[in-house]
Amino acid sequence: MALIAIIDDDPDIIEASSLVLKSKGHTVLPASNPDDGYKIVIEQKPELIILDVMMDEPDDGFFLAQKLRKENITTPILMYTSVSKTIGFEYGQGDMVPVDDFVEKPISPDELVSKVDNLLQKVGS
Amino acid sequence: MDNTAKILIVDDEKGLRIGTQRLLESEGFYVESAENGTDGISLGTQKEFDLAIIDLKMPDIDGLEVLQTIKKDKPNTVCFIATAFASYDTAIEATRIGAYSYIPKPFTPEELLHNVQQGLKQRKLLIEAERLKREREENLLAIADEKSRLNTVIESINDGVLVVNKVGEMVYYNNVALKLLEIEDIELGEYLLDKIPAKISNQIKEFLRAEDGLPKSTSEQIELKPNNELFVETVSSPVYHSDGKFAGVVIVVNNITEFKRIELIKNQFVSMVAHELKTPVVAVMGFIDLLLDKKIPLTDDQQHDYMSRSSSRLKGLIDLVNDLLDISRMEIKTKQREIEELDVREVFESTLMFLEQLAKERGIVFEQKYEENLPKLNADQNEVTRLFTNILSNAIKYNKENGKIFIEISSSKNYLCIKIEDTGIGMKKEDKERLFSEFFRIKNKYTRNVSGTGLGLTIVKRIVDSYHGKIEVESEYEKGTTFTIYLPIKTK
Repeated sequence: MALIAIIDDDPDIIEASSLVLKSKGHTVLPASNPDDGYKIVIEQKPELIILDVMMDEPDDGFFLAQKLRKENITTPILMYTSVSKTIGFEYGQGDMVPVDDFVEKPISPDELVSKVDNLLQKVGS
Repeated sequence: MDNTAKILIVDDEKGLRIGTQRLLESEGFYVESAENGTDGISLGTQKEFDLAIIDLKMPDIDGLEVLQTIKKDKPNTVCFIATAFASYDTAIEATRIGAYSYIPKPFTPEELLHNVQQGLKQRKLLIEAERLKREREENLLAIADEKSRLNTVIESINDGVLVVNKVGEMVYYNNVALKLLEIEDIELGEYLLDKIPAKISNQIKEFLRAEDGLPKSTSEQIELKPNNELFVETVSSPVYHSDGKFAGVVIVVNNITEFKRIELIKNQFVSMVAHELKTPVVAVMGFIDLLLDKKIPLTDDQQHDYMSRSSSRLKGLIDLVNDLLDISRMEIKTKQREIEELDVREVFESTLMFLEQLAKERGIVFEQKYEENLPKLNADQNEVTRLFTNILSNAIKYNKENGKIFIEISSSKNYLCIKIEDTGIGMKKEDKERLFSEFFRIKNKYTRNVSGTGLGLTIVKRIVDSYHGKIEVESEYEKGTTFTIYLPIKTK
């Protein structure tokens, strides 16, 4: 049972993902923009961060991830994207992004649970 | 045309004249004769004879003068001077002024025929020489012409053209090339490769390094100035001498900056559209997965909530698709317009009625002011309704709870003026600048829960533009926004 932050500007995604995670006994910290997300991570120290790529800007999820890593916050990050093969924007190369897993929306409840379990296990071991 | 050689005989001695003519005719030549110098000149200058046999001494005009006159006019007619008073001096004089040879009188048929044969050979040579000369002149003319034509052509194209020889010296260029590559001082024959961007000179060096040049053209897109400021495509090809030896390289530089910009905008647009289309689908799928998942217990209220949220997301998706279709229709201008005389106030009020519920939910009230006897507007009702709907729904959505919207419709001499002022969240200057671009939505703490396609004002702007109207925006952050739309009216 873990404390998980979900940072996504789509309240419906937060709602659905939260419910899935809560059903597994996790506690969810929602945030709808990078600034609130950053605050939650710093103040409440979740064990896992689920982070959307595109929020106010097409790439601010990446910037938040970079910022967290720069500050030596190593909490695993599961990154949500909706258009992974984005053309015309300078991002999308998984190896350049300091996140632990990538998932292209939509994600089924089972997939979400297994991804989350995997990442939490990694930290635990 | 027959190949019979034409021979002119000019001789005042009748017997000799006729005898010679018969002899030559019997040999198959075409012969004309003149009995004095005057006739001789007239015949010899009117027609082109292959040969002329001219008697030196004639009572009217001297044979030499006849010779000279004919030669002047028909330089390729081979002339013989026939004389009974052959002397060394006459011979010299005759040849000096253009006789091929002289025939001493009296002559035997064999002597005559021999001379005629020689003369005809000479005639052939003369004609061939003239043909060659003419050909060469034509070629020279063509080359000179070709060169200036080529210059004009190369200067008039939008691509830069550079030609270097095999040691890297510039042998040809146009001004576009100098401008694109920012070459300031260069003269023909100067070493070019250290004056142009390395990426291009490397391309050229590859050709020069390979012994006989590379067999094929190479092309490359090069960002000469970062951030898409200057993008060129260079095509380098080997140039060969006519004997097939490698001569140098021609480089054509095409400025593709604008193309790259459009490509980027297009790609970003496609990405944005994909993102915008996918987002609501993802949200709905999330809810449906929840509703279907038996392991996750949901209350009746939750179920209902998720279904109604899904429904509203799908509605948003439909709106987006419709907006996209409208934009694309406007873009390709296939949209069938039905222009009619519209009572603007009527259209506006029915739009308001349609939006009343939305306003009521947020406690927003309208204050309306209409000028009496507004002029009619010639426009498509659907478009005008769309225009009003988009502006008004923004005024409602981006207003504060229990805010107000002031509406004023008036007219000036040429325009109907529709002013819509809200007491909403306003916008910052930098946001105002991007207001009409596709998918731009102001994102801040006030707008997070406002739904929209990001295309509403794009459509507004396009409709207004299509009627040659204008739209003005005044806004103060956290205070409110005023849109003023001017639509041209037909003045009578």
